[in-house]
Amino acid sequence: MPDIAFLALSGLVIASAIFALEAKELIYGAVGLAFSLIGVAGLFVLLGAEYLAMFQVAVYVGAVVVLILFTIMLVQRESGRIVEEEEPGRLGRAGVLVAGLVALAVAGAVIILAPVSPEAPESYRVPLRELGVSLASSYAVALVILGLLIGATVLGGLTLAKIDREEKPSGTAQ
Amino acid sequence: MEPLSSYLIVSSALLGIGIYGLVSKRNAIRLLFSVELIVNAANINFVAFARYSNPPILSGWDIVFYSVAAAAMEATVGLALILVAFRLNGTIDVRRLNRLRG
Repeated sequence: MPDIAFLALSGLVIASAIFALEAKELIYGAVGLAFSLIGVAGLFVLLGAEYLAMFQVAVYVGAVVVLILFTIMLVQRESGRIVEEEEPGRLGRAGVLVAGLVALAVAGAVIILAPVSPEAPESYRVPLRELGVSLASSYAVALVILGLLIGATVLGGLTLAKIDREEKPSGTAQ
Repeated sequence: MEPLSSYLIVSSALLGIGIYGLVSKRNAIRLLFSVELIVNAANINFVAFARYSNPPILSGWDIVFYSVAAAAMEATVGLALILVAFRLNGTIDVRRLNRLRG
């Protein structure tokens, strides 16, 4: 018997993902993306990974979506109009076709190839202690590389966002 | 407890939605939305496979930590690029940002 929570969460994930891409206003689209990511966090909770769900909400909804909202506001206030334009119908149909084919192929492969419902332990929660130990021991190198990546990202973002007041190309928005 | 394949079907639906956005949208920010959706589809797969192994595999959760962090970095750089492109061109319509076309 299908679980109500699972059905509701997957419905939320998929419906708000579609809304994020199809909403007329980009701002509402960003809010839809936030709801979709919260739904994914809920699926993580169902899978017994509460800590991962908290991480997902903090990083995605707390940081990424807020950053996207700031960017939308910056871009729209400067241009004074919504950047989005009408998509040609041909492109939309091609997109639906490609996406449907890929999704069907993946789902079909999953159903055919997946091991027949492996028996999972009924109730299981991620042992946080062992997770932390493995993050700091087996994957210590990856953790350090992740730190370097974050440093490089901060530097890159600062460099990109820096406004060169002397060499500003004339006649452009800014 | 749901069977494993139901999680995998949700994740392939999310992948399909993301690919649809990448193919048919013109706004650079919506392309970024699509990339985030695809990354999340992959994360659902990692967590589901890790949970349904017997005994559950801890590495599945570890890799999602790194994946979420890397996706946040990617979004940051992407948004900075979008801002610069907007500053230089006055638009973020990717079909009109074709200055490099040969």
